[in-house]
Amino acid sequence: MPIPPETTPEIREAMDRRRFLAGAAAGTVIAVLGGFYAFRDDPETKQARAEKLPDGRGRLPPGQRLVRSLRPMGGTPGDPDPANFSLRVHGTVETPQELSFKDLLSMTQVEQTCDVHCVTSWSVLDSEWTGVRVAELAKRAGVQKEARFVIFESAGGYTTNVTIADALKPTTLVAYRLFGDPLPLPNGPPVRALVPHRYFWKSAKWLTGVRFSEVDEPGYWEVRGYHNRADPWKEERYG
Amino acid sequence: MVDGAPADSGVPSPTSGGGPGRGAGKRGTHRITWRPFVRSLHRDLGYALIGLTFVYALSGLAVNHIADWDPNFKSYKATHLLKAPLPESEQAVVAAVTSELGIREPARVTFSAPGWIDIEAGWRKIHVDPRTGKVTVQGEKPRFFIRLANWLHLNRGKKAWTVVADTYAIGLLTLACTGIFMLPGKNGIGGRGGIFVALGVLVPVLYVVLSGGPGHK
Repeated sequence: MPIPPETTPEIREAMDRRRFLAGAAAGTVIAVLGGFYAFRDDPETKQARAEKLPDGRGRLPPGQRLVRSLRPMGGTPGDPDPANFSLRVHGTVETPQELSFKDLLSMTQVEQTCDVHCVTSWSVLDSEWTGVRVAELAKRAGVQKEARFVIFESAGGYTTNVTIADALKPTTLVAYRLFGDPLPLPNGPPVRALVPHRYFWKSAKWLTGVRFSEVDEPGYWEVRGYHNRADPWKEERYG
Repeated sequence: MVDGAPADSGVPSPTSGGGPGRGAGKRGTHRITWRPFVRSLHRDLGYALIGLTFVYALSGLAVNHIADWDPNFKSYKATHLLKAPLPESEQAVVAAVTSELGIREPARVTFSAPGWIDIEAGWRKIHVDPRTGKVTVQGEKPRFFIRLANWLHLNRGKKAWTVVADTYAIGLLTLACTGIFMLPGKNGIGGRGGIFVALGVLVPVLYVVLSGGPGHK
């Protein structure tokens, strides 16, 4: 509403203040309603929240929402060309390995359907992966009994750590196919780790090494305040 | 007194300091002379930090929404199904794929294994499964400025840049501190400024309190 020109400066000041307060209140209401709209659960997320895993845990970990495809999530890209790929399996092992992409293809291939959960709160259900079990790499390299942790090493110096128990689970892979195709460029080709029962930053992209270690070595995100174990069902996002 | 400057503005007057008359005034009339220095420092530091502020702020916005878009690359991916099985020879596969997809750039095989042929043609990375005839074409193009800003912001293993980033952080702290003392009177920290400082501090405090903080389950 325009302020009549004949009003006194005091009245104009009061009207300006009222107009400002009304605008601020309207803006706050719009922001709050917009926030509710943006963060409400979609029907697929609601349905996934109602589902249970065989052990009774919810299929969708707390604080997660569904998306339909893996998000890029950045990182320092490595060389995606399988011809240039080399994977070091080293550390506390009897026989350190230097595996080419063809070496991986010649090992026991595992096809696995699983859910993955990112610490930024998105989850993808029923993602289909092909790869080789880390347990098989461990067996081939002859992991020593002193090994307690596994450090995944990636292009650009990125690392992340898991316990040996996490690494040797049959669902933990070094993966090179997603939904039957080579890994998409933003998702760490030619080979990435896959640790589906931990937040997804543990599934290192552009994998270059699997190092067995007697001591724990928190990786890139772990030393920056993220949780060392990263169990999605316990919401272990931050350390 | 400088024309138009309020009595408590801190703007130096010909007798307020810096010259031979400094300190010569009567007791109780001493004027604060550090405020102009604080303002100058705030102003010049503000100018100096504009470039880095754009780098960090734009990268921050980009990375905050990394789950919704790729702030580093524009990606392209398409899948085609050709008539299977494809020819056995690699060169015949290259010829068949480039012909079917209308690719004119020179193409070469970069990797092959049973059931797996990778071809590079210009910006395209082409994966072929000769047994099924499935062809996946991928490519990506860097987002020039944002990618560089993210590279600087995320500071992975760049020791020299850490010095720059630390200096910037100290610069921001200095900006915040000098900002508090720029203005005297009702618009300063004792009045309007204080209210805004309190509001700004309340935002993170309330968020931590209401969300339960990092240990919240």
